[in-house]
Amino acid sequence: MKERRGLAKTEEKNIEKTRELKSAIPAVDIYENEDEILLHADMPGVLKKDVSVNIDNGTLSLSGVRKIETKGVLKWEEFNDVEYIRSFSIPQTIDAEKVEAELKDGVLKLHLPKSEAAKPKQIEIKAA
Amino acid sequence: MFARVSDIDRMFVAMDLLQSRMGRLFSNFDKSYLSGPAFTLTSNSPKTNLLENGDNFEVQAEVPGISKDDLNIKIQGNYLEIGGKRSVDTPDGYKVHRNERGGSTFSRSFTLPADVDAERVEAKMKDGILYLTLPKSETAKSKQITIN
Repeated sequence: MKERRGLAKTEEKNIEKTRELKSAIPAVDIYENEDEILLHADMPGVLKKDVSVNIDNGTLSLSGVRKIETKGVLKWEEFNDVEYIRSFSIPQTIDAEKVEAELKDGVLKLHLPKSEAAKPKQIEIKAA
Repeated sequence: MFARVSDIDRMFVAMDLLQSRMGRLFSNFDKSYLSGPAFTLTSNSPKTNLLENGDNFEVQAEVPGISKDDLNIKIQGNYLEIGGKRSVDTPDGYKVHRNERGGSTFSRSFTLPADVDAERVEAKMKDGILYLTLPKSETAKSKQITIN
């Protein structure tokens, strides 16, 4: 869009900002069985120290910051520094103490075990 | 009658603001591919960066969840091809609630700006990103010309 002279005098202040970290939504797969819920999230290039997983009051939030090293002249750029961020609401049946997380090959795998009380139980019918 | 001039002025200010916001909208739209999940190019191939470092090219590709054996890289002259298979790793016995990280075969080819020495190419996979270092072939390196 070419710049045209404004129709009226405005005082818009353009404050110079250095490049901000864009946020992106990681793609996830969610699987469930009787004992746990599994969540796999694509976070390529994120190191373990830059990932944070928080569970608070029924909400699970994932966040991972990725910095790409670019030495040399960029000919073309299709991905750069992003913050992968996404939150989910999880059912009350998850035991927050026993959640495990693993980061391998750019995929974050979370195990959310269900608490004992929530596992389905077979009720045995006794002949009366 | 003269009091109305300030109203017209305010209307023009609003239109200027709209125009500058719309302008920014267009430039932000072009950049949206930089963030976002992996494999979101229209052709379902990995996003890549190409850098030139003096005598080497460096190609970085976003390939999360793919192991070394699932990728194959072919080089010929200045033609580079990266292909592979992304498999969905559903564990047995689990019900699927959501599957956004689909699995498929992909292939992407590039014509590099200069010929590359295929014998000395190095490839490294780290944290779901493939780093390829491609040294330029002798004929393609730039040479300093001395003036006598």
